[in-house]
Amino acid sequence: MMQYTEAATPAAPPLHHGGGRSSLSLDLPTKPNGPLLHRGRPWPGFPSSSAKSLGSFNTASCMEQLLVHCAIAIHSNDATLAQQILWVLHNIAPPDGDPTQRLTSAILRALTSRASRSGAFSSLAAVAGAGDSGGAAHSHRFSPLSLAAFLDLTPWHRFGYSAANAAILDAVEGLPVVHIVDLSTTHCMQMPTLIDALAGRPEGPPFLKLTVADWAAAPPPTVDVPCEELGRKLVNFARSRHVVMEFKAVPCEPSDGFATLIDHLRVQQQLVLCDGEALVVNCQMKLHYIPETAESPARRAEFLKAVRGLNPAAVTLVEEDVDLSSGDLVARLRTAFNYLWVHYDAAEAVLPRGSDQRWWYEGEVMWKIENLLACEGLQRVERPEERSRWMKRMKAVGFQGVPFGEEAVAEVKSMLDEHAAGWGMKKEEEGILLTWKGHNVVFATVWVPC
Amino acid sequence: MASNSASDETSVSAGDQRVDPLPTTAKKRRNLPGMPDPNAEVIALSPKTLMATNRFVCEICNKGFQRDQNLQLHLRGHNLPWKLRQRSGKEVRKRVYVCPEPSCVHHDPSRALGDLTGIKKHFCRKHGEKKFECEKCSKKYAVQSDWKAHAKTCGTREYRCDCGTLFSRKDSFMTHRAFCEALAEENAKALTTATEDAVAASTVVGDEEGGTAAVASSSSSPSSAVVNPAPPPQMPTAAERPKQEVEEPEPEPEPAATVLHQAPPPPAQHQVGDNSGSNTAAAGGSAATSIFASLFSSAAASVSRSPTLPDFTPLEPISLSLSRGTSTFFSSSLDRRPFAASPPSPHLSATALLQKAAQMGPTASGASLLRSFGLHEQDSPAAAAGAGSAALPNLLMPPPSFFATKPATLDLLGLGGGPPAVASLL
Repeated sequence: MMQYTEAATPAAPPLHHGGGRSSLSLDLPTKPNGPLLHRGRPWPGFPSSSAKSLGSFNTASCMEQLLVHCAIAIHSNDATLAQQILWVLHNIAPPDGDPTQRLTSAILRALTSRASRSGAFSSLAAVAGAGDSGGAAHSHRFSPLSLAAFLDLTPWHRFGYSAANAAILDAVEGLPVVHIVDLSTTHCMQMPTLIDALAGRPEGPPFLKLTVADWAAAPPPTVDVPCEELGRKLVNFARSRHVVMEFKAVPCEPSDGFATLIDHLRVQQQLVLCDGEALVVNCQMKLHYIPETAESPARRAEFLKAVRGLNPAAVTLVEEDVDLSSGDLVARLRTAFNYLWVHYDAAEAVLPRGSDQRWWYEGEVMWKIENLLACEGLQRVERPEERSRWMKRMKAVGFQGVPFGEEAVAEVKSMLDEHAAGWGMKKEEEGILLTWKGHNVVFATVWVPC
Repeated sequence: MASNSASDETSVSAGDQRVDPLPTTAKKRRNLPGMPDPNAEVIALSPKTLMATNRFVCEICNKGFQRDQNLQLHLRGHNLPWKLRQRSGKEVRKRVYVCPEPSCVHHDPSRALGDLTGIKKHFCRKHGEKKFECEKCSKKYAVQSDWKAHAKTCGTREYRCDCGTLFSRKDSFMTHRAFCEALAEENAKALTTATEDAVAASTVVGDEEGGTAAVASSSSSPSSAVVNPAPPPQMPTAAERPKQEVEEPEPEPEPAATVLHQAPPPPAQHQVGDNSGSNTAAAGGSAATSIFASLFSSAAASVSRSPTLPDFTPLEPISLSLSRGTSTFFSSSLDRRPFAASPPSPHLSATALLQKAAQMGPTASGASLLRSFGLHEQDSPAAAAGAGSAALPNLLMPPPSFFATKPATLDLLGLGGGPPAVASLL
């Protein structure tokens, strides 16, 4: 998709922004032979015209370099150097600047937070603790209604909903009892559409059981009602659509591979007559929270194996198509920089600067960045992996991919039409991809037992 | 009046330029709209002519027509001489029309449009005033037929919740609808008659029968799960489904259901709905239903046999659950004020809710960590008053001599520079 919205086009303005600050800006373009200029790292998604207007100088590349050096300085406990770079970056990347500047600012903030917890930077600790007002956006708690409206702003989550719902409908066609296990991060916001679709299927609605993985300490977005309340509303809604539904929230944690959820499902299957029950496991951007550390190097595969053991009718797997699981801070930083820009760029296209939605939207991304870069060990929960690794894993435990049907693709396309022109989708043999200006961002796949 | 010949259309408008037929050497651009036959006669009409409607008026009844042909047909009704354009022996030369607007691509004869109606509509749409406004959505159209076509579909692709919020997509609407208070109120209204004595029991949700796997919860009662009408193991037939629809408004639960399952009065409103709905099914006395009944009661039993499972999450008060979500690492820095515990008023739109929420949420915006410490001279003098502003500048602002004494550092930074470049930095 090569169309760009107008708002998104000036995504890479020259480094000199705003007159008053120009004296503080990096004055690199005057040195065309500097080492940075020949790096040639492509900055994805920027129209060539605006790249040309920068001459041979690439703002984003420069910022990435500075961030990398800052991370290295922090890592090697070089407080003086780190503070120098922090200071420079701070001046060229205001948090309310263009998308690249905002991204840089968020990463900078994460690095500051990381530094503040290291011994050599103890002087920064008080700072990080006291001046954290900028991070409060991600602690915003949505009402279910406002979360529904918030998620409508971009297709980031809706892409997975549409694709998965269409696939689930296909998978349970004609089956009288459908059991959905919902492993998602958006508090059942996918379910009403699915309930409605099930209600309207020609053979009549199934008896619907919904089991939700209730992770108490889930990352943003968070809602201001307990899971059970959401369940009550869903049951109520289902009844209005003449669908009889049962709701169950199972408290569980990704840190142990959702063990309590798996146990619960196993017990259900063993003790309850489940003949004719179609089990569907809906994994929406949640499995990447299962940590794979030195102690548990294959916990994700174990989880999937356990799911396979439940013999589901279908498993939907939607994840961000990026590898941010590396143990190397610099590698993570680079990948994050070259992936998460999409959030800022897309937000720039549709959300006015200074609006609350923008604030919350970027707050969520900021949370992610901070978790990625400032946290280690089990505290670092954001560990997405690229599509190929998930596919390999799924196949290894006995699943095979199912292509999306024409209707699913059409549904996703019509949904994307509602959003900024930069969003697009790619259909591949196994699954579909959400793209922003041609760059893969999220993938959706459907799997059945071999 | 009456015009007869086809050439009349051009002659009416004074000042029209008559364009010669395209030379055969004209470039062929096949795929563009308005690619006429190079041999066609190119006709240029004035804006006035193009905008004119009903130029052909019947002398008898003053009825106007946009086309001569139509007038001629009309004249037949008056038994007056009429003359339809006949196919003459020799081939009629095809005619194409150019747009009078010089800046328009269709001004060029090579991009002329093939029919008169087409060029008229084009001229109105692209260069005319949009006089027709949709009453519903205020969208404006220059061509009446466009406006009519829009009016037919305007609003039909919209979904309106009872709370007044509009949606353009069904999935957005459904998601909103499920969580909107309007739905709850509507359901409550439908059920009040059936629940009067049962509502009082709502506080004991989750206690019954040692809890149950069916949160429906919470709904709790196994009874509600048990009596669920739906799906008998066989597919519900078409005949059965309408039945479910009639069930809902049915106000009086039949006592049989309660007896059958020995359940306490249904605790919450919607469960009552389940019951009342299922009652008819139960009363139907189908064997399938009772099979289901045993199925689900065994489900409930199985859960109670395994106390180690975290199955019995009692309903927590909202305030309790709000405190759960804090991640340990960020807890110190987060503002965890719960927002808007009160249910949103139904008449607020989603946008209004977002705004309302914003007022309750954090008010600081965009101030970065570093900026709040006075490092940002121009922009945030006020923020500099924040805590720690005294300590930080020394820490983060290097003495100017720093770069001069450590040029190697600069290269590491990739700033490519010696002292001159540094000077611009500081």
